[in-house]
Amino acid sequence: MSGANPGAIVTVPAIAVVDEVRDEIEDVRTFYFSFEDPAVGRDFRVKSGQFIMCTVFGAGEFAVSLPFSPENDRPHISVRRVGKVTRALHELRAGDKIGVRGPFGNGFPFESIKGKNVIYVAGGIGLIPLRSSIVHVLQHRPDFGRIILIYGSKSSRELMYRDMIEQWKATEGFETYFTIDRPEPGWTGPVGFVHTMVRPADVPVENTVAFVCGPPLMFNSVIKELLAAGIKDEAIMSTLERHMKCGIGKCQHCAIGRTLVCTDGPVYTYKQIKTLGEQI
Amino acid sequence: MYIMPKSQARALAAALAEEYDLYGPVLREASGEPTFDRVEDPAAIRLEAAIPYNPPKSVVFPQAERVLSYRYDREAKKAVFVRDDLVRPKALVGLRACDLSGLLCLDRFYLGQDYVDEFYRDHRKRMFIVANTCVRPFPQCFCVCTDSGPAPREGFDVALTAAGDDYLVEAGSEKGQALTRRLGLKDAGPGAAARRAAIVDASIASFDGAAMENKAWISRVMNRITTGFISNDVWEYIGDQCFECGACSFVCPTCSCFNVEDIDSREGRTDRVRSWDSCSYEGYTRMAGEHNPRRPVEDRRNKRFFCKLSYSQSKKYLRPGCVGCGRCNRVCPGDIGIANVVTYIRREITKAGAK
Amino acid sequence: MSTRTGICNFCGTGCGHLLDVAGGAVRGVFASPDHPVSRGRLCVRGWHIHELLSTRERILAPLMRRNGRLEPVSYEEAIAAAADGLGRHAGNEVACLASPRASNEDNHNLTKLARTVLGTPNIGLSSDQGHGDAVDVLLEGAGFPAMLGALTEIRDARLILVVGGDIARLNPIVGSEIHRAARAGAELVTLSSRSTQIAKLSGRHLWTRPGGLRPALAALAKILVERGWHDAAFLRDRAEGFDDFARALAGLDLADLAAASGLEPAGLEDLARRLAQAPSAMAFFTTGLAGLDRASTALLFDLFLAAGKIGRDGCGVNPVTGICNIVGSYDVGATPRFLAGPRRAEGPAAGRTPRELLALEPTPLRALLVADRDEEIVRHAAKLQALDCVVYVGAYENPFTEFAHVVIPAATFAETDGTYTNAERRIQLNRRKVEPPAGVHPAWRVYADIAARRGAAWPAASAEDVMLEIAATVPAYAAVTYAGLEKGFGLQWPVDAAHPAGAVRFDAAAAPRRLRFVPAGADPGVPAVSKDFPFLLMAGKANYFWHRNNIMKKTRIPRREYNALLLLYPQGFVELAASDAKALGVRDRAPVKVVAAGGSMRVAVRISADVKPGTAFVPYFIEDMVPGFLNAAGVTIDEDQDSAIPVRIEKG
Repeated sequence: MSGANPGAIVTVPAIAVVDEVRDEIEDVRTFYFSFEDPAVGRDFRVKSGQFIMCTVFGAGEFAVSLPFSPENDRPHISVRRVGKVTRALHELRAGDKIGVRGPFGNGFPFESIKGKNVIYVAGGIGLIPLRSSIVHVLQHRPDFGRIILIYGSKSSRELMYRDMIEQWKATEGFETYFTIDRPEPGWTGPVGFVHTMVRPADVPVENTVAFVCGPPLMFNSVIKELLAAGIKDEAIMSTLERHMKCGIGKCQHCAIGRTLVCTDGPVYTYKQIKTLGEQI
Repeated sequence: MYIMPKSQARALAAALAEEYDLYGPVLREASGEPTFDRVEDPAAIRLEAAIPYNPPKSVVFPQAERVLSYRYDREAKKAVFVRDDLVRPKALVGLRACDLSGLLCLDRFYLGQDYVDEFYRDHRKRMFIVANTCVRPFPQCFCVCTDSGPAPREGFDVALTAAGDDYLVEAGSEKGQALTRRLGLKDAGPGAAARRAAIVDASIASFDGAAMENKAWISRVMNRITTGFISNDVWEYIGDQCFECGACSFVCPTCSCFNVEDIDSREGRTDRVRSWDSCSYEGYTRMAGEHNPRRPVEDRRNKRFFCKLSYSQSKKYLRPGCVGCGRCNRVCPGDIGIANVVTYIRREITKAGAK
Repeated sequence: MSTRTGICNFCGTGCGHLLDVAGGAVRGVFASPDHPVSRGRLCVRGWHIHELLSTRERILAPLMRRNGRLEPVSYEEAIAAAADGLGRHAGNEVACLASPRASNEDNHNLTKLARTVLGTPNIGLSSDQGHGDAVDVLLEGAGFPAMLGALTEIRDARLILVVGGDIARLNPIVGSEIHRAARAGAELVTLSSRSTQIAKLSGRHLWTRPGGLRPALAALAKILVERGWHDAAFLRDRAEGFDDFARALAGLDLADLAAASGLEPAGLEDLARRLAQAPSAMAFFTTGLAGLDRASTALLFDLFLAAGKIGRDGCGVNPVTGICNIVGSYDVGATPRFLAGPRRAEGPAAGRTPRELLALEPTPLRALLVADRDEEIVRHAAKLQALDCVVYVGAYENPFTEFAHVVIPAATFAETDGTYTNAERRIQLNRRKVEPPAGVHPAWRVYADIAARRGAAWPAASAEDVMLEIAATVPAYAAVTYAGLEKGFGLQWPVDAAHPAGAVRFDAAAAPRRLRFVPAGADPGVPAVSKDFPFLLMAGKANYFWHRNNIMKKTRIPRREYNALLLLYPQGFVELAASDAKALGVRDRAPVKVVAAGGSMRVAVRISADVKPGTAFVPYFIEDMVPGFLNAAGVTIDEDQDSAIPVRIEKG
C-alpha cells in the first residue's frame, strides 16, 4: 500500500486551462496546463511516476501518466488518440478547459536508487511515463552512477520528444542509444528492435536499476535481455497502464492479480509483476 | 438487553419513519417472495421474511446514479462542477446478519484503504440499522461457514432476536439506546443474554437439517484458492458455465466494482454516472487501444472467486469476501454460485486425497 | 415499494424483471424471483434494460422534413402528413413494417391500419426470416403455430436436442434452463456447425460441416424409421402421412447424407436410438436471423413426430424467438404470409414485405410506414430516398429517420400498457410504470389517429380495449383479459373457452385433428468448396450484438462489451482454426482478405477453437463490420445460421 497522496484532488475535479497544445508524433499531442485557481496549483504536488484523472468536458475522464518533472517543468500530459475521450481531448486548443483529479499512484522510488546506475529502456510512447524520471535523474546527475537511455520506435517519425532527445544527446555523461525498427533514408543510427540495443550498451549489472516501458512484445524481450545480462528482477521497474474509472482504488477496473494499478502502482518492480499472475 | 412484543415492531418502524427514509424486506404481491425495498408504509415491512432476493447494497451503492454533473460553455470556456447531495437519512429495518456483514465489508472497502470514497460515505451517513437474527436458516444459507451469522455481532443500532411472541432487543449504539427509550422498552431481565445465546445456538444447530449449502468447506477452499493449487480443468469447467450475465456481482452484498461514464443530459449539462459493474464482463478490464489483459472467461471467473475466497482479499474486509447469503447460487444461469464452486473445488480436493 | 414487476423487452424468453422507478424515471432493474420462466435470472442485456429506458437518445417531438431538414411540428400536423402521404397510395404502392419488439396492441392496430385503411396486404415484420418458416411448418404439422412444448417444462425433458444457433448466447435464460436440466440428469445434445457455448455444455456435440444440419436431420429420421425405432402406436393413433414420409426417406442414401453432414454414421445412429428410447425429448432451435430454414424445420418436426415426442409431457419441437414479441406479431397477423391467428394468407390477402417490394426492379413502392426499423431495408437506400412518403414511428433515435418525411415519437414499453407473447406463447402484460414524455403517445394510439384522419373511427380508447378487439379476432386469444393476465405471469395460448387458464403445451391427445408429417421439399444440397474457394464461411451473431445494435448502442455496459470485442479487432474478424491459420502463415489479429464470388472484405484473423479446419466464421455486424461484403449481390449468408458460402482467404 502506498497510502493516499496528501493534497490530492480526490472527488470533484479541479478546473485547469490548456495553455498550449503541441504536436509530438502522429496521433500524439502534448497539452500544457495550469489550474484556474492558483491556490490549487500550489497544492498540486506531484511525484515523478504518478498519474492524474483528466476530464474532457462532454466526453469523460481518463487516467494519464504525468511526464513532467515536479521540480521545474511546466505541468503537461502527452496523450495518444485512441478512444472516444482522447479523441475529444485532441480537439482542444489553447484556452480550453479540462478537469483534473489527482495526482494518484505511488511514483518512482528515487530515495532508494540514489547512488546507483540507472538504465531507461523505452519503446514508442512508452517514453512518456519515463520522461519525468529521466529529467529528475539528469537534474540530480551527481546522485547517480551511469545514466543510460535506450529508446526505439517503429520509425524516426514515431520517436517522442524529439527536441528533448536532441538536448539529452548533448548532455555530458548521458549515454543514449536510439534505434528504429526498419532502415529509412537519413537515419544514421542503429536499426532494430529496442532489446537488441541492450547488449551494445554494455549495461552495468551491479548497483543498477532499470526502468522499462513500452508495448507488451517489446517489454517482454527487453526484460529477457536485462535478466540475461544479470540484472535482478527486483532492480527492474516498470509503470503499468490500465483502464481506470476512479483512480483511488475503488472501481477495481485496474485490478491485476492482487494489486490495483491506481493505488499499489503504477510503478512495479519486475519481481512484483511476475507474481501478479497475469499477462502484462 | 430489552424485550419488545412482536406487535410493537410496527411502532418501531413507524418511529424511525418519522426521521428516516424507511427500507426493509417486503413481500411481492404475486408470489410472496421477499425483496428489499423502499417502504412508505411501515406496516409493509415483514421481519419474518426470508432473506430478500436483492441485497440492501443498492441503498448505499445504487445500481446507476449521478454523482457529479458539470456544465461547460464552449464559447465562454467556462466550466462548473456540481456535486450532488447524496446524504439522506435512511433506516434499514430487518437487516439479516449476512447482509449486515456485507455492509461492513463495503464500509471497510470504500471508507478504509488509501482513500475514502466520498459518494459512498455520503450515502452511509445518517443511517439507522435494525438487524434481525435468523432464528432458523433458509435453504440457501451458509453464513455459519463464512462467519457472518446467523446473529448480528456488530455494526447495528438495534438488533432483534425473535423469542416466542417477543423480540429480544439489543442496542448497539447511542442512537439505538435512544430508540429503546423512546419506545419505552422494558429490560429483558438477567437471563436474557443466555436466552438469546440459546436461540442462536439452536439456529446454528439446525443448519445441518434446514440449509442445503452448509457443508461448504469454505476454509479449506479458501486455502486452496489463496495458494493457487486448483487445476485448470476445474476453472475451465467453471468458465464454460459462465453466461457472463453479471448477476453474481449484482446480488452480492460485498461486490463493489463500478463503472463511470459521462452522459450528455441534452440540457447543456453532462452527468457523471456511476453504475454497477461486473468482473464477468470482457470489457471490464479493457485497455484503451490495447489487448485485454483478462480475456478468457475462466480467468475472469477465477478472479471473482479469488476476490470472494482468498486470504489476501480478506485483508481488505477483515473477513472473507463471501458472507454466505447464497444469492449468487439462485441467480446464476450456469451453476457456478459460490456454494457450487466450493463444491467443485471440494470434489477436486477429495479426489486428489483419495489418490 | 419503488420496484414494479414487469417483463423484459429484449429477447423472446420474456423474463420477469423488477423495474426500480423513482421520481418518474426508471433507475434500475433487478431479476424477478417470481417469474415462472426466468425464476430470478436475467442475462447481460436484461440486467441493463434500465440504461435503455433512461437514455436521452429519445425522439421527443413529432418531426417533418422541410427543405431537407427534420423540423419539430405539432402532433396533429404529423398525423395529418402521415395519413395523407400514406393514403395517397394503395395496393403495392404502400407497405408497413411492424416491429417485433412492439406490443400486440401496437401491431394489431398497425395491421388493421394497413389492411383495412390503407388497403394493402403488405404488412411486414422486420427480422422475421426463419420464424415464419417455423410457423408454417408447425401450422401444417400440428395446427399449432408456435412452440409445442413449454420453457417451464424443460426440466421434464429427458433428452434435449439443440439444433443450430447458440441458444446460450441468443436466449441465455432458455440456455440456462437447458443447462440446469442437463445438470439434473437430462441428456443434452447439440447439433451445430460451430462450437458454441451450448455445445460446450452438452454431453454430446455433433459438429456438422456448414450446411450439414439438413442432411444430418434427414439421416437421423431415416435411421429412426428404417431401424423400426419410430413410435408406431403413437403414429397410428395420432398422425397421418407416415407412409409417404417413410417412402421419401427410402429414396435417400444414408452414406451420402452422412457425408454431406460431415458426421459419422455411428454417431447419428446413436442419437437416433437415444431419441427413440428417451421417455421424453425436446428440440430447441432459435428463429430469426440465426434460425433454421424451412426444410430443416420440417425434418426436425418429422423426426420428433416419428419418435412420438410431440404433444406429450416433456416433449415438443420448440422454436425460440430472438425478439420479445415475434410470436405475438404473428398472432395478430403483422406479416404478409399470415393473417391473424396466424392462418395462411391466400390470394389477394397475401402480400409482400417492404424488403421484398424494394427488391423488385422497378419497385412499385411509393409510400412506407416503418416502426422501429431493424430489417436491412436500408440496403435499398437509393430506392428509399426516392419514395414519396416515409413515415417513421419509434421511441428511440434511429439512423433510419434520415429517410423519413414524417417522424412520430412513440412511448416505450414502460410508458404504456401492452402485452407481449414470448416464445412459449405466454401472453404477458407490461403495465405503464412511468409517464411518457409530454406529447408522446403509445404507437397503437398513433396508428388509430392516422386511421381517424383517413375517416376510420376506431372505438378502442385504451390498450385494454385493443386487447378486446384482438380477443375477438384471434381464436387463441379469445378469453384473454388484462385482469386474467394480471393474476399471475400471463397465460400461455390458446386461451379460450376450452382453456380459460391457457395451455402449458400442445396436447396431441386433445388436438382437433391428426398430426401430419410435413414434406421437407427438394434438397438444395450443401455448398461445396472448390480449388478457388476452399473455405466454407459461416456468419452468426456474436455475444453482445443484438438487434442491429441500434438498441444496444443506447445502453452503457452492453455497448461497452460490444466495443470491447471491436477493440481487439477494430476491422472485424474472421475466425479460423489454428491449423488453417498456420497453413496460411497468419497470426492472430493479422489482416486477411476474405474473397467470395460476390465480393471481398478485409478483416483480422481470430484464431479460434470454435471452428473446424476448412471452415471460417464472421460475426454478423451488418452496419459495423462487413457491410460491403455481405451486402454484395448474391450473398445470402444472413438468411439462416446453417448456410455458408465458399470463400478463399488471402494473406495481407
